[in-house]
Amino acid sequence: MNTKRIGHLARRVVLQVVSDRRTLALILVVPVILLTVAGVLIRVEPGEIRIGVVNEDEGVSLSDSVVLGDRLTSVFTEIGTFEAVQMNRSEADAALDEGEVDAVIYLPPTFTQDVMSTRTLTLNVQFEGSNPMLAERLNSMLERVSGQATNTVASASTGGIALDTNIEATYLHGGPEFDTLDYMAPALIGVFVFLFVFILTSIAFLRERLAGTLERLRATPIRPSEIIVGYMMGFLVFALLQGLITLLFTILVLNVHYTGNLLNVFIVETLLAITSVNLGIFLSTFARNEFQVLQFIPLVVVTQVFLGGVFWEVSAMPDWLQPVAYLMPLTHANIALRDIMLTGATLLDEWQPLLAMLAIIVAVIALSSRTAAQARI
Amino acid sequence: MNTIEIENVHKRFGNIHALRGLSLSTRKGEIYGLLGPNGAGKSTLIRTIVGLYTPEEGTVTVLGKQMPDRNVLSQVGYMTQASALYNELTVWQNVAFFAGLMDCNDKSAIAAAIDFVGLSDRRQTPVAQLSGGMRQRLSLATVLVHKPDLILLDEPTVGVDPQLRVQFWQHFRRLAENGVTLLVSSHVMDEAERCDRLGFVRDGRLLAEGSADELRERAGTHNLEEAFLVFAGEAAHEH
Repeated sequence: MNTKRIGHLARRVVLQVVSDRRTLALILVVPVILLTVAGVLIRVEPGEIRIGVVNEDEGVSLSDSVVLGDRLTSVFTEIGTFEAVQMNRSEADAALDEGEVDAVIYLPPTFTQDVMSTRTLTLNVQFEGSNPMLAERLNSMLERVSGQATNTVASASTGGIALDTNIEATYLHGGPEFDTLDYMAPALIGVFVFLFVFILTSIAFLRERLAGTLERLRATPIRPSEIIVGYMMGFLVFALLQGLITLLFTILVLNVHYTGNLLNVFIVETLLAITSVNLGIFLSTFARNEFQVLQFIPLVVVTQVFLGGVFWEVSAMPDWLQPVAYLMPLTHANIALRDIMLTGATLLDEWQPLLAMLAIIVAVIALSSRTAAQARI
Repeated sequence: MNTIEIENVHKRFGNIHALRGLSLSTRKGEIYGLLGPNGAGKSTLIRTIVGLYTPEEGTVTVLGKQMPDRNVLSQVGYMTQASALYNELTVWQNVAFFAGLMDCNDKSAIAAAIDFVGLSDRRQTPVAQLSGGMRQRLSLATVLVHKPDLILLDEPTVGVDPQLRVQFWQHFRRLAENGVTLLVSSHVMDEAERCDRLGFVRDGRLLAEGSADELRERAGTHNLEEAFLVFAGEAAHEH
């Protein structure tokens, strides 16, 4: 072993990396950026939970008039673990449908009577349910809170005898069988389409440039816009094929629940793939070889996975981070895909995320057309 | 009508003045040789002719149309210095792709082009499995498949073995006999003898133009290499 030669070689390797500024930045800076983002997100407090309380309890007349519903309502509104708002039944239905409240607790006219006759405090809770993680957390929260409420109610109604509590849950969307995977799957389908189309396009276009075929193409009657559209069509085939396979796999093998129209899912995936193709063409100009293309993945794809609402809800992110998240195509795709698959939303319901995706597409097409027309040759 | 008409063309890349008032024209059915050392501006000139570069001054006219003009490119064939092919595709697929871009979807034309360069028994072979010489031949097939009126060849015989080089020049002559104009760049002087007319290029200027015999006579030398040096020396005095 010649340590001197090894030293020379090691020195050369270090010099090579140092002289390639971007690889250096990739190794040193990008992990810090990603960890910062992840750190911020993991410590994010869950967004405030809002519930509606519909109190229709008519109470019973003993020596005094006893209305347990009123007492329970004040317990809920004062407890502070979640925000409880008193509303009537039609308001509550509308709020639940709009997603303004996460759950509604119904106290029927016979509530006091029922508690006294059955000696059980039964809470009828309807969960919005499209986020199973939230529904689960809310459920355990209610169990704790109703324990406290029982004590208050018990002293008034039964002279201090303990009551059993029982939560009867119903779900507007999904149900108790909806789990975290159901929540994640629509977003992951979007992530896969975006990731693979991005890798395929950027490498294909890079090769086109390096092999000199782009120069040949530009010496033919084909227009730069035609090159772009050709690429989109070509890769859309793979994107939709992949979409079909992942969708069938998640539904049939992973048993993910869905209620939406699968055609709508494909339309959102098409928009996402178009974005990805154009972003890939644009960014390929900044790479001199395949390795440098791969360097874009942490930057372009992983940040979107973190910020795009795959794991953490965008609305729960710090205020300064939310605008960044909304600049990312995957964020809007995730919103639309989730709504379509979990709550059966139509394309019209999702006009906001779809419009945002279209705006992003216009921007990336402008960038990629410049690339196709002016790429270094 | 001249197939290519270049008048007083200037092209700069930052500080580099690649073409300095170059004028040149080619006639229908001739082989015009563009001769000069590396860095003389030959590739820049060819790219300007096909419209990849737009000159800052001067005009380039190809087949009667001022460049850049995409539509006229369907009658032009451009062979880049390195063979520009899709490695994953077969011989047939490569030729058919470039033919399609030129609005030529005739299968017999594709077969004829492959046959012309002697690759008929390799139609279904992926490019990745071809030898360097075969790739160069395939590259030529993709350039002439749509029967262009003008073919531009940027150093087509670089890295080509002597036998194939002779074959290439036979191909070029056959095309010229059919009325195709060929502009061939080279830095190899012995290839110059095979051209109808020559243009000596250096530092982005045309030093001299004429047939090999004319150029030798005007320079008073026995071979073209010496003639080139004589013209280069005269030009150096002028500028």
